[in-house]
Amino acid sequence: MAEVSRHVGVAGRWRGPVGWFGVGIRLPLAVMAIVVLAMALSGNSYNLRILTFAGIYALLVIGYQFIFGHAGALSLAQGTFFGVGAYVTGILGSQLDWPFLATFPLSIVLPAALAVVIAAPILRLESHYFALATLGIGQVVLLLAINWEGVTGGANGIPGVPGLRILSWDIPKGWPLLIFVWMLVAVGAGLAWQITRGLYGRAFEVMRENAFAAMSVGIDIGALRFVALILSALYAGAAGALYVHTIRVISPEALEFPIMVACLTMAVVGGRARIAGAIIGAIILIHLPEWFRFLDEYYLIAYGVVALVMIVVAPYGLVGALERLRQRLWPEPAPAAPSALAPPPRQRAGSDDGGVLLAVRDLNKAFGGIVAADNLDFEIQRGEIVGLIGPNGSGKTTLVNLITGIYRAEKGQILLGGVPISGLAAHEIARRGVARTFQNINLVDDMTALDNVAVACGQRDGIGVRRALTTFGRDESLEHARGAAMHFLGAVGAADDALKTCGELPYGIKRRVEIARALALDPDLLILDEPAAGLNEDEQAELAQRLQRLAGDGLTLFVIEHNMPFLMPLAERMICLDYGRVIAVGTPDEVSNHPGVIEAYLGPPEDD
Amino acid sequence: MLFLQLLINGVALGSAYALVALGFVLILNATSAVNFAQGDLVMVGGFVAIAAAALLPVPGIVLLPVVMIVMAVFGLVFSMLAYFPLKSRPPVSVFISTIALGIVFQNGANAIFGPEPQVAPPLLTGGYLQYGELIISRQSLSIIIVAALLIAAQHLLFAKTQFGRRLRATAQNRRMAQAVGIPVNWMIAATFGMAASLAGAAGLLLANQFFVSPTEGTDLIIKAYIAVTIGGWGSILGAVVGAMLIAMFEVIFSAFISYPVATAILYGTLLAILFFRPQGLFGETIQKRA
Repeated sequence: MAEVSRHVGVAGRWRGPVGWFGVGIRLPLAVMAIVVLAMALSGNSYNLRILTFAGIYALLVIGYQFIFGHAGALSLAQGTFFGVGAYVTGILGSQLDWPFLATFPLSIVLPAALAVVIAAPILRLESHYFALATLGIGQVVLLLAINWEGVTGGANGIPGVPGLRILSWDIPKGWPLLIFVWMLVAVGAGLAWQITRGLYGRAFEVMRENAFAAMSVGIDIGALRFVALILSALYAGAAGALYVHTIRVISPEALEFPIMVACLTMAVVGGRARIAGAIIGAIILIHLPEWFRFLDEYYLIAYGVVALVMIVVAPYGLVGALERLRQRLWPEPAPAAPSALAPPPRQRAGSDDGGVLLAVRDLNKAFGGIVAADNLDFEIQRGEIVGLIGPNGSGKTTLVNLITGIYRAEKGQILLGGVPISGLAAHEIARRGVARTFQNINLVDDMTALDNVAVACGQRDGIGVRRALTTFGRDESLEHARGAAMHFLGAVGAADDALKTCGELPYGIKRRVEIARALALDPDLLILDEPAAGLNEDEQAELAQRLQRLAGDGLTLFVIEHNMPFLMPLAERMICLDYGRVIAVGTPDEVSNHPGVIEAYLGPPEDD
Repeated sequence: MLFLQLLINGVALGSAYALVALGFVLILNATSAVNFAQGDLVMVGGFVAIAAAALLPVPGIVLLPVVMIVMAVFGLVFSMLAYFPLKSRPPVSVFISTIALGIVFQNGANAIFGPEPQVAPPLLTGGYLQYGELIISRQSLSIIIVAALLIAAQHLLFAKTQFGRRLRATAQNRRMAQAVGIPVNWMIAATFGMAASLAGAAGLLLANQFFVSPTEGTDLIIKAYIAVTIGGWGSILGAVVGAMLIAMFEVIFSAFISYPVATAILYGTLLAILFFRPQGLFGETIQKRA
């Protein structure tokens, strides 16, 4: 995506003021800014008012991008947060004469408080349920605003909301208000950029595009969605407060669906996860009724049509389309790959002195009537390479999903270094040192191999809003993570492809990138789910060598594989599953000659 | 007696909701996409009925086939705009495209018919049947009968005909259906046509007692959505049961408290259901693969 422009921005040398505009899509953005400024300077007070509204919506949409763009959750509550912010300022300002400096912070905080309250029930919902729940909450708040007449003024609302006044300094309509609103947009945009530009933003991208990938590198999806919802509410509240100061009356209109629709359309038109997209979307859609004057008060028809056309022809919005166009017509030079840098080893709680690393005790799991894990009970010693075999459907991948916390066992226990991990969330198990690869590869296709691995590296140092906000200038944690990612990509022989997006990599390299990502967690236990599938014999031999080297360095490996010629020389010990039960444990020779194993694979022996 | 009265009103409203929810589920199953404009299609159906009644003054039951045919065509066009251009994108794209089209429908209807609620002719005649203290509106009874017939017809179509089997195959596994030679895209288009047709029927049924106004779609889609959530995402029977439950809830609570409170309680209940059972009351029919 905009990966390329970002790299050049960091790595490229200073090219003078003219060259600066050549990076990414800065030139078209600058042209647009000039057009807008010219419109404002034409002096028409109506234009100034429209642009003020555009700024208010831009703030709303920048906030919306956290939950809709970055977290990828279709929230329909952004208009509700906006309305709540508007009502807080409207009521306190008109009824109690509270000053801006008191109402504005409250207008920002109270929608966020609402977000905290609703977060618990709604954040774990899947996409469509999430949309429905947020819609339902919006309807409840709207009903409340209409029916709680004593406080909200009911359906007619409350007139006489004061204009903007900071201490004794009035900010009248026209230029002063316009400039004030856009200054707040600049602050909001700056904060949003700061929060999402580094590893934290990458973590959002991984979580949005591939939840399994995110969990496997220790990303706490719930926490990220929570933060995104709160941030979106904060921005919406600020926008709502400015809105009510501008129109000077508060009514249920502020909570009604058209504002939500406008916000969604702006995000879709401009670009879901690009700050420039939010601003462009807001400016264009606020002017749309002007351009479709013949539609009169039915201008929302144009909103609908524009949103529909944009989602069909430009799924990444105008900004995304421009970035892609630029990359096709004038490709920017590929940035240099960062130099590899081995990261320091992870702090470990447990001891390294051999003994049992993973203990599975009496584990049970069934799907409907199908028993996928039936009293599984085995151990893996530190530093061992253990192979797991079994016919298709014998429960191998289910076992991996149980160990890594994707599934929850109905009965039994899993201990890592003596500490129970069954029942922990998947990201927590990953953080405690269990890394895995997937049978069906789970990488983020739109991201470079480098960043796919860098997110895992960064996860170890901890990421978060505070860290993102206090990183100024060069983002060292991102650079360190990318350096470490190069190290691990090099270790699996994928360094040459580091800057390609994963979607364009061949199958064998994708498998290596997954292993690099798993290694980046510096795990105690590495679980590989069919690592040799789809590799040719040379690649298999190479992989076997690498795995042996890793085991030599003290890593414990648990390898699920069908491919016996690959697994036999590699594994020190093998476990065979059938119908969710362990039917054989022992050396590879013992297991492969075990009559039960042969029967499981070939069927019962026939009588001669 | 009051209870029986409410029961009949509730079942009548529930029958109309069931048609809305049914159309919603048919599209959901065929495409795994949420059609957010299903409620707006109901509204369009209501206005089509009103426009048709202005041209030929006949009872609603005669208009019903006309409305359903017009809406079926409307549904085909709808699928060409909102679904087919986006069919290989993530389902959320269709969600947004249907929101967008819904906005167009709402404001288009507003421009053509105005914002005031309007009334369509009753199915047969207006008036009431009286049995002692029990007063039943003829319209309520006709709604129940017509909706029941439509739901039964839909069920028979799906269960007993080759066409229905093809539709079901498409809904269950699109690739497999394609592999055995079913024209999958036509089946999906037909599903949209059918869903819009059912929405149109619901529009006609609702537009007499409850009037029709351009913005009612949002309210209806939420109801259908809740019905489908309660009934188990993707279950056809569940959608009908869910619609009945919602309507009974609404009618009974509105009678004893007030409509806004009833609605607020309904949404509160929905959130509680989602909180305790994120997979719906009766479990998900469509399972996500891990």
